[in-house]
Amino acid sequence: MRGGRPADARIGEPTDVELLQRMRLEDESALEALYARYGGLVFTLALRIVGDPELAREVMQDTFLRAWDGRETYDPGRGRVPWWLMGIARNRAIDLLRSRPHQARLREQEKPPSDAHRVATVDPGAADALALRRAVTQALAGLPESQREAVELAYYRGLTQAEIARHLGQPLGTIKSRTRDAMERLRTLLEPLIETGGSEPRRD
Amino acid sequence: MTDEHSVEALAAYALGSLDPSERASVDAHVAACDACAARLRAYQGVAATLPLGLAQAPPPPEAWGVISATVRARRARRRIEAKASPLVAWLRFAKWPAVAVALSALLVWNVALQRELVRRAPGPAPGPEVEALSRRPGRVVIFRGTGKPEASARLFVAVDGGGHLAVSGLGQLPRERTYQLWFVRTGSSAMSGATFGVDRYGHAWVKVAVPRSLDDVQAIVVTEEPAPQGSAPTGRHLLDALPWR
Repeated sequence: MRGGRPADARIGEPTDVELLQRMRLEDESALEALYARYGGLVFTLALRIVGDPELAREVMQDTFLRAWDGRETYDPGRGRVPWWLMGIARNRAIDLLRSRPHQARLREQEKPPSDAHRVATVDPGAADALALRRAVTQALAGLPESQREAVELAYYRGLTQAEIARHLGQPLGTIKSRTRDAMERLRTLLEPLIETGGSEPRRD
Repeated sequence: MTDEHSVEALAAYALGSLDPSERASVDAHVAACDACAARLRAYQGVAATLPLGLAQAPPPPEAWGVISATVRARRARRRIEAKASPLVAWLRFAKWPAVAVALSALLVWNVALQRELVRRAPGPAPGPEVEALSRRPGRVVIFRGTGKPEASARLFVAVDGGGHLAVSGLGQLPRERTYQLWFVRTGSSAMSGATFGVDRYGHAWVKVAVPRSLDDVQAIVVTEEPAPQGSAPTGRHLLDALPWR
């Protein structure tokens, strides 16, 4: 994902940055290509956060509309296109979650099982995409439960470190070091794959 | 310097798990620290891959249709707005001359008033600082003599914050008393802008300390206080700029 194309893009297809450049020229088909590339991932992330397919669809639609409206503001220096999209989607989903506390409470009662052990059920087909997915799944599964929990509460529930400490009844320093240790371990395991965007060279 | 503390903050930042003030301090730090900026990018890459570990859910097939229709509607609206844009552009262009004319008028009025005051007040000459202030563009606040009907005043606040006050119609005070200008604020105590006496013609022209923000200033008043100066307005309002906005 660090590369200009997603791990499952084929040789000869435009990079993400090229798609953004075409979007700036009002080329709607470039947005469609971006959607084809990342729609599934954005929807999956939104669904994990808001827990309701209808709301997740709302978040995903809003994410791509915001990407269209904000196509001039995307700055490659601040991260790759999918990071940007995931950032928009996550913020939107967390906002939605916070604006509907009743729904958030219901989700809390459900206590969804940790996702780290799940196996990806939809395979886009490309071997390197599968490799990255497998690596992420394995890396998360390899984390101690307490570290994985800290990461998930932060990323999917949108809680600050202090809120996580309160939620778990743990000292703030403990939560901070769990988060740091988890991210450091994930970085060590995943950075080589993220760096090269799977097995394909960076083009942007 | 990538110390333990900042690595913790970077990790939490990448996961969107910091409150706004902590986020701002990380932003400031990475702007100046290449090592932490690189570490943050790596963590952000990790965070963005986290959803790959989820069971992938295919988006509803109708979603793209909604996005596409909305984008088309927005583009159509923009085309309509673009047709109307010459008027908008003209207004945008005309705004600055209007501001310039208003500021010039204020400046002319300011200078005219200064001359008038100098002509009518042969008392102590205003300091060069006050004179300099009077030549700067700004806004004018007019006071009414609520507690002293024959008195009036104008406060000039320069665009860059300095201010000066021109007063007439107040009586001379004994040594142990002083006039004092106050900015009465919501949420914090009143701020003293100036203390002053008047000459034998009842005039004063003094430099004023203006609060950095006038947003929470509810009223501006002049009272009589014990000299050398009071810490809060105790006397009745002699001059009042309410409503001053």
